[in-house]
Amino acid sequence: MSFLTVENIVKDFGGLVANNNVSFTIEEGEIVGLIGPNGAGKTTLFNCIVGYHRPDSGKVTFRGKDVTGFRPFETNRAGIGRTFQIMKVTTGMTVLENVMVGSFCRTNNRNTARGEALHVLGDLALDAVKDYYINELPIAIQRKVGLARALATKPALLMLDEVASGLNPTEIEEVVELLRRLNSAKKITLFLIEHIMEMVMKVSQRVIVLDYGEKIAEGLPADIVKDENVIKAYLGEKYAQGL
Amino acid sequence: MEKLKDALDFSDFSKAERIGLVIFSVFLFAFPWIGAGSFTTTVMIQFLLFSLFGMGWNTIGGYGGQVELGKAQYVGIGSYTVALMMVWWKVPFWVSMPIGILIAVGYSFIIGYPLFRLKGHYFAIATICTSLVLKDIFDNWNLVGAAKGIELPIHDHPDFLYMQFKSDTYYYYFIMALFYIALFYMNWFRKSKLGYQLRMIKDDEDAAESLGIDIRWCKIKAYSIASAFVAVGGGFMAVYNLYIDPASTMELSLSIKIALMAMLGGAASLWGPIIGAAFLVPLDRFLGSWLGGQKGLTGIDFMIYAALIMIVSAYQPRGIWGIIEQFRKRGH
Repeated sequence: MSFLTVENIVKDFGGLVANNNVSFTIEEGEIVGLIGPNGAGKTTLFNCIVGYHRPDSGKVTFRGKDVTGFRPFETNRAGIGRTFQIMKVTTGMTVLENVMVGSFCRTNNRNTARGEALHVLGDLALDAVKDYYINELPIAIQRKVGLARALATKPALLMLDEVASGLNPTEIEEVVELLRRLNSAKKITLFLIEHIMEMVMKVSQRVIVLDYGEKIAEGLPADIVKDENVIKAYLGEKYAQGL
Repeated sequence: MEKLKDALDFSDFSKAERIGLVIFSVFLFAFPWIGAGSFTTTVMIQFLLFSLFGMGWNTIGGYGGQVELGKAQYVGIGSYTVALMMVWWKVPFWVSMPIGILIAVGYSFIIGYPLFRLKGHYFAIATICTSLVLKDIFDNWNLVGAAKGIELPIHDHPDFLYMQFKSDTYYYYFIMALFYIALFYMNWFRKSKLGYQLRMIKDDEDAAESLGIDIRWCKIKAYSIASAFVAVGGGFMAVYNLYIDPASTMELSLSIKIALMAMLGGAASLWGPIIGAAFLVPLDRFLGSWLGGQKGLTGIDFMIYAALIMIVSAYQPRGIWGIIEQFRKRGH
């Protein structure tokens, strides 16, 4: 039995088929990348798994439990955390309070929640910004706060939507390091949407490619970049020649 | 035990705020002895009552960020429960008020459940509608006195069972006690799990849901807490005025005043509703008696409130308290 099984997901937005019969599995402890051109249905697929969209048909099983059609808070309680591509820049709560909301997912006690939030912040080297509001921080730190918030809910599977977009190469390097560490030290399975090929290739153990809502390829990063369909749909001839 | 400690612990506020609270409390306790006239005492009682209402509204409206404009129906439920049980079965205040709270909470769950399918303006409109419908029902329901309302049977002074007194000083201390219970409760609430979750919902609903928060359930809970607060105030109004009718307890203007006071003072802050009430209750009195009474310009006060709402939401959504905090930050 797989850790996460996605079977024949179909999501149709009134004629625009965002996901068409997508199936795949993820094993515990893996790092899996999800790539594809803009509008390929990557975020929709995420939303179908997490529960922001209810798939028209298909089935999502997480750790042996059918989670199809669960609300996002239910999938979160079942152990799936996610971050957002666009983090709302909010002014109402400090970084620490944001992360505390995450830890409140698993406890009712404020001091426990605070302790765990501080622990997560320390782990991600965010101690220094804990009393800032999100709108006061640069985008790389904002992303990290989003990650910290999701981590505080103690997910077994963490789904990251473009966690590295808009970051500079040094920051990307840091994120790659961080994700590897989360995966190896905390045993969190990672599933990430990413546009930056450099990062996908470095961090993922396996890559799934979507195009026009359909899965066109799946395999090791080294094989994926040589796959003709993927080159045609997404990478382009130039990228392939550059290898 | 820990909850009680949280409720009484104001240590995360600045020194100035804590000193302010002490001075304010001393003033509240001493007020009946400074020899103010009966008019000022009435205004003070109104101020404490509306602070109580505002603090209740602050749970769902301030921390939860839901524009809720139907609180008057719970004032009505609270006051009618107390009044009717006293008239029909001679039930003492201390029994009927908790029953009023229970009815208000039960009712808030029933209408909160469908209500919180709606968001934003639609939610605000729906809250107004539910409140108006209840007022119309009571306006035409003969059993509960219809539009002419009901008078409470008068008891000898002082009656601590039915909470009826000749002197306003008793009522003053009574509402002050309720005010402090509300203040301590809110001080706990803002640090509670629900408080944090509501603030997250206000900031970003999608993110809140991804963090394991059942948004709708959280909102319903906060809405019920707000309703319970307001029902207590309604119960007080019944024994204080000794006469209630739908117009004084369920009017739309009451709902708007409750929301406006909290918003003007500063939604989602502990002091906001108190500051708002301190500002608006005297203004309300003045506008009502001067413009409405002497100048014959009834309704002008509502235009002024409407303008206030617009100014607050456009320039400083965090109200008077937001302005104070801005100045404080600049000072550093």
